Amino acid sequence: MLKLTNIRKLLGLFISILFFSSSVYAEERRLLIDAHIHYSHDAWDMLPPKVAIKVLRDAGLKNAFVSSSSDKGTQLLYNEAPDLIVPVLRPYRKRGELSTWFLDESVIEMIEGRLSKYTFAGIGEFHIFGEDANVPVMKRVVALAKEYGIFLHAHSDAEAVENIFRQNPEAMVLWAHSGFEGPGKISEMLAKYPNLRADLAFRNEHADSGKVDEAWRKLFLAFPNRIMIGTDTYTPERWYYVIDHANWTRNWLRDLPSEVADKIAYKNAQKLADWALKK
Amino acid sequence: MNTLALRLFAIWLVVFGSVGISLASEFFSEAEKTIIQSFGPWPPPLIADPSNSVSQNSEAISLGKKLFSERRLSLGRDLACSDCHAPDQFFTDGTALNSAHGRATRNTPGLLNLRWSSWFGWGGAADSLWAQSIRPLLSKEEMKFTGKKLRELFSEDIALTQKVQELFEISVVDQSDEALFVIVGKLLAAYEETLISGLSEFDRFNVALSASDNIGIESYLATAKRGLKIFIGKGRCNLCHFGPTFTNGEFGDIGVTQFITKGRIDKGRYQGIKALQSSPFNLLGEYNDDQQGTSRVRTEHVTLQHRNWGEFKIPSLRNAVKTAPYMHNGSIETLAGVVEFYSNLDEERLHIRGEKILRTLNLTPQEKKDLVAFLRTL
Repeated sequence: MLKLTNIRKLLGLFISILFFSSSVYAEERRLLIDAHIHYSHDAWDMLPPKVAIKVLRDAGLKNAFVSSSSDKGTQLLYNEAPDLIVPVLRPYRKRGELSTWFLDESVIEMIEGRLSKYTFAGIGEFHIFGEDANVPVMKRVVALAKEYGIFLHAHSDAEAVENIFRQNPEAMVLWAHSGFEGPGKISEMLAKYPNLRADLAFRNEHADSGKVDEAWRKLFLAFPNRIMIGTDTYTPERWYYVIDHANWTRNWLRDLPSEVADKIAYKNAQKLADWALKK
Repeated sequence: MNTLALRLFAIWLVVFGSVGISLASEFFSEAEKTIIQSFGPWPPPLIADPSNSVSQNSEAISLGKKLFSERRLSLGRDLACSDCHAPDQFFTDGTALNSAHGRATRNTPGLLNLRWSSWFGWGGAADSLWAQSIRPLLSKEEMKFTGKKLRELFSEDIALTQKVQELFEISVVDQSDEALFVIVGKLLAAYEETLISGLSEFDRFNVALSASDNIGIESYLATAKRGLKIFIGKGRCNLCHFGPTFTNGEFGDIGVTQFITKGRIDKGRYQGIKALQSSPFNLLGEYNDDQQGTSRVRTEHVTLQHRNWGEFKIPSLRNAVKTAPYMHNGSIETLAGVVEFYSNLDEERLHIRGEKILRTLNLTPQEKKDLVAFLRTL
């Protein structure tokens, strides 16, 4: 027969195992907000809204910033799961407009119409580089973001980002892919522009096999409140990468101090969405 | 009469031949000639695979050739390597997706000239030819073979066992299932390394170009010459399809669908790297015979990247005309279809930071014909 002390020891062990397992699970399933999701026209058939939402939930996402070519994709997902989707207005009717949209003045009418009709946290992700950020269409986009108090999700080089801030020093800019710049330049830009945020979509350089690169670690620790993660589902097939990407992200986030990891994982994105959606 | 005819022919050669020669030599710039010469010589030097102790061993090659057609290497004893990699079809099966023994999800690649590859399979899940040769044996969709069945084969085929024991200096009964599969893989690879295509029409032209052999140069079709110019010029095909094998041996995403069916996708190189890194047969493992360790280096440096999702092996273009259909899923039936694909390339499916080399070619009908004509000569 088991003695009472032994039963207590066993019970203690069981509780410890249970606690340890649940904390490991919580760590593995760290909350994430994916700040870079597209649900464009070519995805709707192969991945209907219910399926797409299931992918996002299966990935353990708290929220997803979604912008689509056309915006109909974002609305389809938002209607399906308003608790999950943070809608962002993409100025493209189809993905092929990414290198011409800023020369097409009819885009303005489209953006104005959508902004007045639907709720958005931002305008983007749009592609704009260098001096093109000063063309009339882009200037109007910057002005509209100011008018609505929402952010700009800019796939841009540093020069275009600087041009946007010249137009409106108070603009809130989420720098897509961190401009594909190295940690030194990103750090310089974040230091220079307090309203600049940066996403890590389609970036690998900052982490390998769960280990954060030292130069990037310095960046993350220097700007823990300004960086967020994202997948970039630029083709329908990329939607099947969201779960793998989330797991990969959780893996390298573990290599950072927990508080910093949580900020990059979801808190920074949450704060940006709350600011834009006036919560 | 014959003498007169010969004299007239000689005069014709001097007068008209020299005009043609002059045109041909001016057709390609010096820079283009340098690129063209980088596609040769063919074949490249034959170097034994250091990871395979029986590479280039004549007995192993002979035994490997027998095993290549050995149906007893499948669970039902009804399927051999040669049934899908048919020697009389340039070691392919001529079909988009083989459905003879379970529905394949990838096109059966040809086996010629693989000895110069570093990665094997459309996703590069193997880093040696012998490891790749094991894969279909164990695949549940293909030969479905098992260690138990392999042991039975060795038990019943005494001659095979004796040869294997002599070649590898081992006792078959003392080997693990894994080690036995490695032995079979290395024998198959020893044979597969010998599958090298002969000189192509293009190679003969290239030799002539290097030697300034004007008659040899002129005997190459004008349309193929124009196609070659597009291949290394407007098409920039040679940026991925370069060197004597017409491939960089790596992986690319050209926007071919990853969907196998609705809701099911082929992850391509992404899955390949994962499979490679977890495989007991990779070159980092105990079955690599390379004493120097240099063959490990490439595999050691493989890291999983976002871009690998949807990348597939960039195939050699040698014998392309004989190995239809094309792409990882066999979705394009003809070379003309492949050229059309690149001419109308859907850049929307490519990430702006992904395949920066790729762009829609917008070829004219004549350019398309010329490019196909060139590809047919490889």
